Amino acid sequence: MTPSILSHQEVADELALITSNPLDIVGLLARAHHPQAGAIVLFSGDVRNHSNEKSVAYLEYEAHESMASGMIAAIVEEAKSKWKLTIALATHRVGKVAVCESAVVVITASAHRHEAFVANRYIIDKIKHEVPIWKCEYFADGTKEWGGNCNCHTITGEVGKHVYEL
Amino acid sequence: MRVQVFAILKDYFDKEFELHENIHDMPALRERLIQFNPAAAGILNSCRFAVKDEFIDNDFQLAENDTIYIIPPGSGG
Repeated sequence: MTPSILSHQEVADELALITSNPLDIVGLLARAHHPQAGAIVLFSGDVRNHSNEKSVAYLEYEAHESMASGMIAAIVEEAKSKWKLTIALATHRVGKVAVCESAVVVITASAHRHEAFVANRYIIDKIKHEVPIWKCEYFADGTKEWGGNCNCHTITGEVGKHVYEL
Repeated sequence: MRVQVFAILKDYFDKEFELHENIHDMPALRERLIQFNPAAAGILNSCRFAVKDEFIDNDFQLAENDTIYIIPPGSGG
């Protein structure tokens, strides 16, 4: 039986933008190849074992899932309108994510590397600052902390306005 | 109206609760929540509010049957 081959649009369309399942980084990357793409950039936001000099046991992510999905889709579409990309996709986990696991993956591909790099950075920065997803760090000492919040409003003076919009 | 909070706000409020009061806009709701729990004032002042998956501004008129989502600053990635 011939395996079904998905177009890049279909790969992006079928991707869950918010998921509680482990992210299949290698599988996603394998499907990002394209005859017109000379550059594929993959960003993986991994869970590291330390934060603020404390040992991290694991992270737990929470999202307003319908808003987060809609906003990630809009950010990816915005990137595709700004740069010529053969593929752009992003997916973010919710729930418990272990050290060394990927919490978020962004893949961009373009004819030349510049656009893929710039678009990838644009997408991940916007996801981190604007999308209603929150991480809680659970430390090895048994404590926890909602962490890494975007504090742009303390600089911009306006809730929801970010440093890159100044 | 129904209020749902996320992330760090769950340390200050129930995840979901009903409010049966005459509150017509977001600034009034925020003030009421700060009265409930003054310790949450700092975080509430950095939050955005949403109804039906859209962020609302100060002028948005809240309806009795709305569910209002209170969205702290993001920390995904």
